[in-house]
Amino acid sequence: MNMSLLDGRDGRKIIGDLAKYYSLRQEQPSAKSFGIYDTFDWRLFEKSLVLYSSEDELILHRLSDYKIVHHAKVSSFPNFVWDFPDGSLKTLLAPILEMRRLLKLAEIHSQSTIYRILNKEQKTVVRLRYEEIRRVNQARKPMFCAHLHVEPIRGYPRYYRKTIGRLGKLGFVQIEPETIYFEALKERNKTPGKYSSKLKLQLQPEMRSDEAAKIILRSLFRIMKVNGTYIGKDLDTEFLHDFRVAIRRTRVALSQIKGVFPVDTTKKFQREFAMVGKLSNELRDLDVYLLKENAYKKMLPDSLRDEINPLFEFLKNKRSRVLEDVKNGLSSRESTKVFRTWENFLDEPPEGSPTAPNAEVPVVKLARKRIRKRYTEILSTGAQILEAANDEKLHALRIECKKLRYLMEFFSSLFPDKKISILIKELKGLQDNLGNFNDLYVQQAYLLKTVDELPLSDDQAKKMTLAIGSLIGNLEERTQMVKGSFSEIFARFASPTHRGLYHELFVTTKGKAGP
Amino acid sequence: MKILAIYSNKGGVGKTTAAVNLSFLAAEAGLKTLVCDLDPQSSASYYFRVKPKLRANAKGFHKGGKNINKSIKGTDYENLDILPADFTHRNLASTFNKLKRRKRRLNRILDPLRAEYNLIVLDCPPSISLLAENIFNVADYLLVPVIPTTLCLRTHLQLLSFLKKKKYDTNKVYAFFSLVDRRKKMHKEFIATISREFKGTLHKSIPSLSNIERMGINREPVPAFSPTSQAAKYYRVLWQDVKATLLD
Repeated sequence: MNMSLLDGRDGRKIIGDLAKYYSLRQEQPSAKSFGIYDTFDWRLFEKSLVLYSSEDELILHRLSDYKIVHHAKVSSFPNFVWDFPDGSLKTLLAPILEMRRLLKLAEIHSQSTIYRILNKEQKTVVRLRYEEIRRVNQARKPMFCAHLHVEPIRGYPRYYRKTIGRLGKLGFVQIEPETIYFEALKERNKTPGKYSSKLKLQLQPEMRSDEAAKIILRSLFRIMKVNGTYIGKDLDTEFLHDFRVAIRRTRVALSQIKGVFPVDTTKKFQREFAMVGKLSNELRDLDVYLLKENAYKKMLPDSLRDEINPLFEFLKNKRSRVLEDVKNGLSSRESTKVFRTWENFLDEPPEGSPTAPNAEVPVVKLARKRIRKRYTEILSTGAQILEAANDEKLHALRIECKKLRYLMEFFSSLFPDKKISILIKELKGLQDNLGNFNDLYVQQAYLLKTVDELPLSDDQAKKMTLAIGSLIGNLEERTQMVKGSFSEIFARFASPTHRGLYHELFVTTKGKAGP
Repeated sequence: MKILAIYSNKGGVGKTTAAVNLSFLAAEAGLKTLVCDLDPQSSASYYFRVKPKLRANAKGFHKGGKNINKSIKGTDYENLDILPADFTHRNLASTFNKLKRRKRRLNRILDPLRAEYNLIVLDCPPSISLLAENIFNVADYLLVPVIPTTLCLRTHLQLLSFLKKKKYDTNKVYAFFSLVDRRKKMHKEFIATISREFKGTLHKSIPSLSNIERMGINREPVPAFSPTSQAAKYYRVLWQDVKATLLD
C-alpha cells in the first residue's frame, strides 16, 4: 500500500515513532534519478503505461497498480522504438509508439530509505520504503512529494494490518500508487492525455450551424497551432502530419459545411489554407518514404538490399533542404497573416442577422443533409467501379470517402455513439483499402521519377535500377491484390445493414437525434 | 520451474547450509525461489528466523492445495519464500504410507506451486524411506553434499545402489564436496579419486569455514551477512556451477 502525509510534516520522524511499538531497523538510504517518458500525444498514458529510465535501465510500469510490466538494459536512451534492443519490451511498445519519439516529460530524484519492522525472532515482517521525491538532485532542497510504500511480507498479514492502522493514526493517508507520476507531471505543468490528434467535440443538435462550424474549426486550429510550433524542431514526423491533417480537415469543413459563412470569406480561407497545406507536401512525401525504408528493404531479395541505400541517402539529404523551406514557408509573412486573420475570424461573435443561407439552421439538420449527400455519391461511384474498375474512379472515391469521414467525425456527437461508431469503422475499412491502393500507385511513380534524379556512377546505377525494378514489381503485385479485394470490402460497406443504419441516422427524422 | 533436492542419507554433511545459501543466491539472481523445509528439525526455518509450525496440523501439508499456500512465509529477502518445517513431518513417511500413490504424494503437494516459482529447493531430512522416494520422484536433480571421508563415501555408494535397485535415474544425482578441510591430505586425495570415478560430480567444493558456522548465530545466509567473505565466495562459485550444470 502507498501512503503519504497530508501536510509537510517530517515523514522520517513519524516512521521513527513506530519504534515505540516495534523493533525497527533502518537501512542505508539510496538515491536514484529517473526520467519519465511518453510521446507528445500520450500514447503510453492512453494505454495506462509509464516508461521510466534510470541510468542504463528502462522500466515500463502499468499505471493502474504500478506493477513492472517489462524492463530492459540499454546503453543509451532509445528515442524511437526502432532504437530499442530486441526483446519483449520492444515487441510490446512497437505497435503503441509507432513512429513517435519518446520525450522526457519530467525528471525526478528519489531518495529512499528502507525500514524493516521485526518480530521477536528479529525476522522482517513488514517492509517500509520511504521515498522523498525532488526536482533537483540535492537532499537539502525541498521535496515536492514524499511517499511511503508499505510492503507486506507473505505469511504475516496481521503485522501488516496493524502497521497500516498505526501509520494512519500517526497522520499517513492512503494514496494511489501512481501519485508520483501525476505529481511529477503537475510540477512541470503537464496534464497527461491533454493532447490528442483526435477531435473530441460536443455539439448540441439545435445549435446554429455557423456556431457549430466555428466550434469545429477552433478545435482544428488548436491542433494546428500546437503542432505547428514543433515542426521546425523536427522531433518526429507526426507533428507535421497532425498539422497537415488539421489543415485538410479545415478545408473539408469549409467546403462541406455549406452556406454557413459568407461565400467570399469561405472562398478566401479555402484558397489560403490550400496554399499553406501545399508548402509541406514534398516534406510529407519524403517522410513517408523514409519511414518505409525497412519495409522496402524487406521486399527486396538479400542480394539487392544494400543496393538501395543510395536512394535513402539521397532522400535524407533532400529532406533536410526541404525542411528548411517548410520552416521558412510557415513563418513567412503570408502564412503568418493567414493564421492571424483566421484566428480573428474564429473569435468574431456570431452575426446577428447572417446572410449565409444555412447559418441559422439547426446543425443536426445540416449535418444529416451533408452526410446523406456524400454517402449517396459514394454508393454511386462505388457501383460504377464495380462495373468497370478504373484507377481514376478509385482515386475520386478515395477523396469522397475522406470527406464523408471528416463530416461524420465533426458531427459524431449529434448521433447515437454506438451506431455512428459502427459506420465510421466500416468507412475506415474502405478507406484503408483505397488508401493502400493510392499509396502503392503513387509510390511506384515516385520511385521511377526519383531514380532519374540520383547522382550515381554507372555501376551503382545498374544495381540501383535492378533494386528499384524489383521493388516496383513487388509494389505492383500488392497494388493488384489491394485492387482485387475492393469489391468485397465495398460490398460490406454498402451492405443492406449499413445502408439501413445510414438511413436511420441521416434520412429519417422520426426518432429525435441525440446520443 | 526446476525442483532441486539437497539430499543425503547421512546427517551433518551441510545440507541445510547449502539449501539456505544456494536458495538465497538463486533469489538474488532474480529467480523466484521457494525453500521447502522438509526436515522436522527445522534448521532451514531457523536460519530464516521463521517459526516452524508446531501444531499437529496433519491435514495441512500432505493434502497440499490451498493449505500449503497459507503456510508459505516471505523471508527477509526479495524473491525468496520458505515453506517452514511442520512438526508433523516426523510422521510424513507413515502418513504417506496410508495414502494412495504413496510414492508420489510430494508431486501432488508441490504441483500447485510450480506456476508461482522458478526454483524450489527441498531441504531434506537424512533418511532413505518412503519420504526419500517421494523426493526422488519429484526432484529434477538431487544435490548431495559429500564429506571426503570413507564413511561418507560409503553412504553415497549406498544411495547410488539403492537408486539403481529401485530403478531411479541416477543421472540426476550430483555430488559436491562439503566441509572440506583443505589442510588434510586425506581430503585432497579423496576428492581426486572420487572426482575421477563418479561422473555426476560438481568440481566445486565447500570448505569448512567459521563463517558458515556463524550462520547459526547470525541466522542469515552467509552472502547476506558477509557478502565478501571466503565462505560467500565458495557458495557463489557452487551456485554458478549448479546454475550452469543443472538449471540453464
